[in-house]
Amino acid sequence: MLNRPSSPQLLRQRLIESERLMEETGCYDGITELSLRAEDPLKFETLHTKLRAYCVSAREMARRISASPGVREVGEMVVAIYTPEGDAIALSNGIMVHVHTMSRFIKWMIRNGYEDNPGIRDGDIFANNDAFIGTVQVPDVMDVMPIYHEGMLVGWAGAVCHELEAGGITPGGDVALAQERFTEGLFVCAEKVGENDELRRDYIIRCERNLRMPIYWVLDEKAKVASCIDIRESVKDLIEEIGLDYWMKVSKEFIEEGRRAQLARTRQLTVPGKYRGHTFYGHVTEGKPGFQPLGDPNWLYNIPIEMEISVDGKITMDFEGTQPWGFHSMNCTPAGMDGGMFVTLTQHMNFEGLVNDGAWMATELKLPEGTWTNPDSEMAATATSWALLLPAYGVFQRLLSRGFLARGFVEEVFVGQVNSPMIEMGGKSQYGTQFGMAHFECAAAGSGALAIKDGLDTAYVGWNPESDMGNIEIWEQNMPMIYLGRAIVPNSGGAGKYRGGCSFISTWLVNKTDHLRLVTSEHSSRVFDNGGMCGGYPAPTCQKHRAVRNSNIRELAAAGKPLAHTTGIDPDRSDLEKAFEGTHEIVEGPYITAPHKEGDIFTHSYNGGGGFGDVLERDPVKTAWDVENGFLTREAAEKVFGVVLTEDEDGMPVPDLEATNVRRETMRVERLRNAVPVSEWMKQQRKRIERADFVPEVRKMYASAMKLSPRFAREFRTFWNLDDEFTFEAEKQA
Amino acid sequence: MNTPIVIGIDAGGTMTDTILVDRNGHFKIGKAATTPHNEAEGFIASAEDAADAWGISLEDLFSHLDVVLYSGTGMLNTLLSRTGRRLGLITTKGMEDMVLMGRGLQAWADYSYSDRLHAVTHQHPDPLVPRRRTHGVTERIDQFGDVIIPLYEHEVAAAARKLIDDKVDAICIMTIFSHVNPAHEKRIAEICRQEIAGAGADINVLTSHEVRPVIREQSRLNSILIEAYATSRGRKQLRGIEDASKKYGFRYGVQTLLSFGGLTSINHPRLHETMISGPIGGILGAAYVGKLIGNDSLICSDMGGTSFDMGVITRGQTRIENEPLMDRFKLNVPTLHLDTIGAGAGMILKVDPLTKKVSLGPESAGSDPGPICFDRGGTEPTIADCDAILGRLNPDYFLGGKVKLQVEKARLAFKEKCADVLGVSVEEAAEGMIDMLEGDANNALRRVISGQGIHPSEYTLLSYGGSGPLHLAGCSKGIGFRDVLTFQFAAGFSAFGCTTADYMRRHSVSIQIDIGARADNSELTETANRIDRVWRDLERAAVEEMLADGHAREKVRTVPFLMMRYTGQLEDVEVMSPIPAATNADDMRKVIDQFETVYAKINHRVSRYGEAGFTITELGVIATADKVKPLLVKRPLGPSNPAAAHKGTREAYIGGRWHKADLYEMDLLEPGHEISGPAIVEHPATTLVIDPQDRVFIDEWTLLHYEHA
Repeated sequence: MLNRPSSPQLLRQRLIESERLMEETGCYDGITELSLRAEDPLKFETLHTKLRAYCVSAREMARRISASPGVREVGEMVVAIYTPEGDAIALSNGIMVHVHTMSRFIKWMIRNGYEDNPGIRDGDIFANNDAFIGTVQVPDVMDVMPIYHEGMLVGWAGAVCHELEAGGITPGGDVALAQERFTEGLFVCAEKVGENDELRRDYIIRCERNLRMPIYWVLDEKAKVASCIDIRESVKDLIEEIGLDYWMKVSKEFIEEGRRAQLARTRQLTVPGKYRGHTFYGHVTEGKPGFQPLGDPNWLYNIPIEMEISVDGKITMDFEGTQPWGFHSMNCTPAGMDGGMFVTLTQHMNFEGLVNDGAWMATELKLPEGTWTNPDSEMAATATSWALLLPAYGVFQRLLSRGFLARGFVEEVFVGQVNSPMIEMGGKSQYGTQFGMAHFECAAAGSGALAIKDGLDTAYVGWNPESDMGNIEIWEQNMPMIYLGRAIVPNSGGAGKYRGGCSFISTWLVNKTDHLRLVTSEHSSRVFDNGGMCGGYPAPTCQKHRAVRNSNIRELAAAGKPLAHTTGIDPDRSDLEKAFEGTHEIVEGPYITAPHKEGDIFTHSYNGGGGFGDVLERDPVKTAWDVENGFLTREAAEKVFGVVLTEDEDGMPVPDLEATNVRRETMRVERLRNAVPVSEWMKQQRKRIERADFVPEVRKMYASAMKLSPRFAREFRTFWNLDDEFTFEAEKQA
Repeated sequence: MNTPIVIGIDAGGTMTDTILVDRNGHFKIGKAATTPHNEAEGFIASAEDAADAWGISLEDLFSHLDVVLYSGTGMLNTLLSRTGRRLGLITTKGMEDMVLMGRGLQAWADYSYSDRLHAVTHQHPDPLVPRRRTHGVTERIDQFGDVIIPLYEHEVAAAARKLIDDKVDAICIMTIFSHVNPAHEKRIAEICRQEIAGAGADINVLTSHEVRPVIREQSRLNSILIEAYATSRGRKQLRGIEDASKKYGFRYGVQTLLSFGGLTSINHPRLHETMISGPIGGILGAAYVGKLIGNDSLICSDMGGTSFDMGVITRGQTRIENEPLMDRFKLNVPTLHLDTIGAGAGMILKVDPLTKKVSLGPESAGSDPGPICFDRGGTEPTIADCDAILGRLNPDYFLGGKVKLQVEKARLAFKEKCADVLGVSVEEAAEGMIDMLEGDANNALRRVISGQGIHPSEYTLLSYGGSGPLHLAGCSKGIGFRDVLTFQFAAGFSAFGCTTADYMRRHSVSIQIDIGARADNSELTETANRIDRVWRDLERAAVEEMLADGHAREKVRTVPFLMMRYTGQLEDVEVMSPIPAATNADDMRKVIDQFETVYAKINHRVSRYGEAGFTITELGVIATADKVKPLLVKRPLGPSNPAAAHKGTREAYIGGRWHKADLYEMDLLEPGHEISGPAIVEHPATTLVIDPQDRVFIDEWTLLHYEHA
C-alpha cells in the first residue's frame, strides 16, 4: 500500500510505484487483502455509496447550470472522483465512457511533470480535450481539480461534458470533415485553465473567440468547475470525519474490490474461452465537397475482435487484423477504446458493484499499433471516432452475450448498440446571430434485441445508457429549422424472433435563416455495421439523406394541399418527391454540401438495432401490432417474417394464423432449396477470393489488413485454404 | 374538548387515515380500510372511527366542520393500473408517433442507479392513448408564435369524426408551441366540439395550452393525457365524498390538495395537479410546526416501508420541481420538491454469496407478505426483521399488538441468508444493515442540505412516518442540526400537514424576455412594464378562480414570481419577486439581483455568467387565502421525571452490545419530561429508539426533541 499520509513522494513516483505494485502482485496498488472491508464490511459499503452520491448530485447541479441541450436535455455528462494517481474511485451516472479517459488525462499530467510546471495547487483547474492525452473526441472536454487535505494531494475531482460546438472546420462537435487534427476545432491540451476556484478570464476569452456558440462550452466549463468544487468539499468533509489514513486506504481498496468484483462477475456470468466476432463499416465521400484528397474517398473497414475470458475472469479484447488509421475523423485513441470498453462493461456486468476503475483493470485491450484503434501518428483525427467504436463495441456486447447464453443467463443477452448518425449545423440562427450546434436527438436510437424481448425503440445508445432524444420545442429554440415530422422508421429494427429496436427519422423545414450549414456523420452505408444474434438479422444500414431545395411548401400549405412529413415506405419514390416540387437531393453517407436556406426541407434518420433468433419463430400477434403501429410494413411482415395479415373491421392488421403457418412452411422449404453445404459454399467463395472478385473497397480492405497483420494474413489463408504467398492485387498496387 | 372544525383524510392504497382537529389543536386519528370502488364508504368509516374516538356522532362531526380535506391515491391508482378512460389524440401532423417514442428517458428515469446502467432492464411505459386513436393534422407554429403552416381544418373534422366513431371518452389536443400561440389548438377544439355536438355525443375536449401552457411538448402531452385519462373517475369519487359529507350535515365544498401545496376545491379544472399530493402534506406540516418553534429552515423526513422522502424549507422558501415524473411519465406540473431515496423498514436485504456485496432493496416486502417477523409468508429478511431481532421493536405491541412479531423466525432466516454469508454474528450483521440504511438516509440528508447552500445548524429536522422515529438517531447523527423533532402523531403527520394548508392558486405562462448584460435604463423600464402587464393579467385570473370558490376578495393575497436563467441556459431558477409590482429600471435590477442571489445559492458562485445576459421564461402569480388551521396546544412544562409513562424494560442491541433499555408509552409523555437513552418509546403506530447517552425532551407543545450526546 502506497500513499500513507507521511509519504512525501512526488505523484510521479507514486504512480510508477503503484504500477509496479500492480505488476508485482496482480492486485491494484499491491492491495492483496481488503483489510478495511474485512474489518467492517458495512462501513466500507456505506462509504462507497456516499462517494457515489456525491458524484450523482454534483452532476445534477451541473445539469442545472449548462446551456447545452446535450447536457441538460440528454445528459451528456459524467462526474467522478480519483485517487492522487488518477484511478477512478467512484462515478456518477451519465456518459461513463469518460471515467477512464479522465484517468488517462490525470496520469498524463503526472507523467509529464506537471507538479513542477505548471504546478498543481489547491484550487487549480485543468482542462483537456486532446484524445491522445485522454478523451475520445474534441467535443469531450474534461475538467479536473486536485483535492488537497492539509497541504497534501489526496485525490482529484473530475467532470466531462460533450460540447455541442467545438469550433472545427464544420460546425458542431463531431467534425466529420476533419482529416487531420488541425481541423477538428479548439484544442485544450492538458492546460491549467483556472486558479483559486476561478476559470481564467483569458481562457474564457479564447473560448469566446474560437467557437461558433461559445455559451455552450463556457457555461459547461462553469458547470464542471462547480461540480468539481462541490465534490472536493464533500470529500474534504468526509476525510475530516473518517480520517486521512482511512481515506487513503479505503479509496484504494474500493478500486481493488471493483477489480475483484468484475472478475467474479465475469466468472459467474460467462464461460471461459475464446470468442470471435466481426463487423464492418463502409464510408462513402466520393465527390463530396470539402474532403481533401489525402485518403480514399470511399472505404470499407473490417473490425475482427477476439475476446478471451480467462478462468479467473479476466477479459482480453484483441483487435488484431483491423484496418490502419486513415485520413478521416473516425480514428480512435487507446483512451477512446478504453472508454468504449468501460461504458459497455458498466451496462452488462458492473452496474451494481463498486463501479470504478477496478472494472477496467480486470480487462485488457490489445490494440495493434498503426490501426485505427491505436494510431502511430498523433496527427490523426478522432472527431467522429464513435463511428467505429459503436460497431466495435456492439460486437463486444454480442460476444459477452454468447457467454451469458452459454452460462444460462438468457435475460442478460443483448444484441447491443448501433451507430446513431449525428447531425450538426451552423450559420445564421433564427435570431439573426451566428450559431453552431450538434443536434443530440441521436442519443435515442434503437437497441439490439434481447433474447427474451424486442430491442428498445428510440431510446438507447451505447455511449450513454441513459438515452433520450429531448423535446422538439427545446431543439427548435436552438436551431433555425422546425420539425415537419419525427416518426418511427418502419423496418429499421433488424428482424428476428425478437426484433431490434426501431429508430426514428426527423424531417425539418429550414425557417428564418438564409444560411444554414448541415453536416452529418457516423453512417455506415452499403454494409451492415452491426449484426444480429442466433439467426436474427443484422441492424440495417443507415438511411440516405433526402433534401428538397427551394421547395414549394408555402404554396402547398396556403392551398391546403397535402405535405410530406417523413420519407414514407416507397423505396422508389419518397413521400417528399411525391409531395414537393423543388430540387430533390438524395445523398448517401455523410451529408456535406452547400448551405440551405428558408423553405428547404431536410431529413435525417437514426439507426435501429439487430435482431435475435429466427424470424419464422416470431409471434404473429406481435408482428401485427408492429404493423399497426408503424414499426414494420405489411410487406416486410409477409416477406420477411412470413406473417399473413388480414384486417379487422377498423382496417387494422390482424394475423391469419393458419395462412401464416402455411406461408412459413413454404419459406422453410425455400430455405432448404436455396441452401448449399458449407463446404460447397466455401469452395465457390474461394474461387472468388482467388480471382479477387470484389469491389475495390473490399479488395483494399483485405489487402491492408493482411499487410498490417501477419497473423490475420495467416489465418485468412488457412481458413480459405489459400497458398502461403496469397495476397490481393490491391496490396501489390499499394 | 370542542367539536372538530377540520377533518383531514389521506386515502392510501390500503388504509384511509383520518385526522380530526378542533379549534384548540386537539386531534384524534381514525382508520379504516380504503374502498376503491366507492371511496366514500372508506371515508365515512374512517371518519366514524375518529368521531368515535372523539365521542361524537357523524352528524355532530360534519355539521360543525369548516373544512373537509380529502387527499387520495385513487387517481394515481387509475393511472398505475391503466384503468382510465378511452382517449383520442389530435396532434401536429408528423408527430403522431410521439405517444410510442415517448421521451427516451421515460424508459429508465425512475430506476435505481444500477438499473439505469443495466441497459437490458429499460422499457417504455405503456402509452395512455394508442397510436390508432392518434391523428395528425397539418399545421405548424414556431417558437415565436408565428404560423408557418396554417391549420388544415378539413383534416381536423375528419379526425374528430373518426374519434367520435371510435367512441372515445375524451379528445386531447396538443400541438407544438401551443403555449406560445394557442390559436390552432383553440380552433381544433372548436371544430371537435362542433362535430361532437353534431353527432350528439358526450365527449370531453381538452387542449394542452389550457391544461399546462408551458414549454416541452412531451411533458405537456403527458399532462393533458393524464388529466383526461385518470382524473375523471377521481372527480366522481371526490363528488361522492362531498355528497357523503353533505348527507351528514357538512355545509361547504370539499377541498383537495395540490402538488404544489395549496388547497383547492374539487371542482379544480386541472385535477392532475392533485395527483402527487400525498407526501406534500409533510412539507406543509413542517412549515406549520416551524412557525410554532420559531424556525423557518426545516427539513422534513418521512420514512415508511420503502422510501425515505425529504422536503426542504430554507428560510421560508420551498423548492418547486417543474418536471416531476408520474408513473414514469415526465410532466411539467409544478410540485413541491421532494428528494426520495429507497430506504425504509420493508427493504429486502441481500448478501451476494459471490462478491459478498450487501444490497438494501430496492425491492420492499411491502405489507404483503411483509417482513419475515410478520409471519405472513415473507421469506426475505428486511430492516424491520433486524429491528425485531435487536429488540428495538416490541414483538407484542406492533400496531398496538394487532400483529405479533415472530422474532425467532426472522433471526433464523437472517442468520442463514445474511450473517453467515458475511461471516459475522447475527447482531453485528443486523445492526450493520440498520447502520447502512440510516447511513444512506443520513447521507441523503446531507446532500439535500448541501444543495441549499446554508449551514446544517440553521435547520430543524422533522422525523415522522411509521419508521421515522425508529431510525431517527442514525439518520440525524453527526449532521449538526439545530434541533431534531418527532411527534406523538408521527405516523399521521402527513395527514396533519394537509390540514394546515391554505387555499392556493398558481397561474403562470411561458414567455421569453431577454435582458442584455448591458441593458440601459430605458430597456429595463420597458421590460419592467412588460412583465407587470403579464403579472396583472395572471393576478386577475387567479383571483377570479378564488372568488368563484367563494373567497372574499380582501382575503386573497397574491405574490408574483419569475422563472429566470442566464440567456442560453436551459434550466430556470424560480425567483419570488422581491417587489409586488415592477414599474421602473430599479425594480428590474432588484429582480435580477434576487435571481443572482437565488442562483448562486442553488448552484455555485463560480457558475454565474451575467455577461451572457438574463432570460425570463415564465411569469406567474401565486394567490392564497387563509384557512382555519389546527393549533397545537401549548402547556406549561411539568416535572422532568417521565415515570408516569414508564412501562418496563427490554433488552435491546444498540451500538455493538445489548442494553437494558427503559420502555415508555409515547402518548403518556407530558411537557417537561426528559428521557435518557438507552430507551425505547412506544406507540401503537410507531417506535422511537433513543441511543445510549442521547436524550429526548418533551416541550410545551408536546413535541419530542431528540438530542444527540
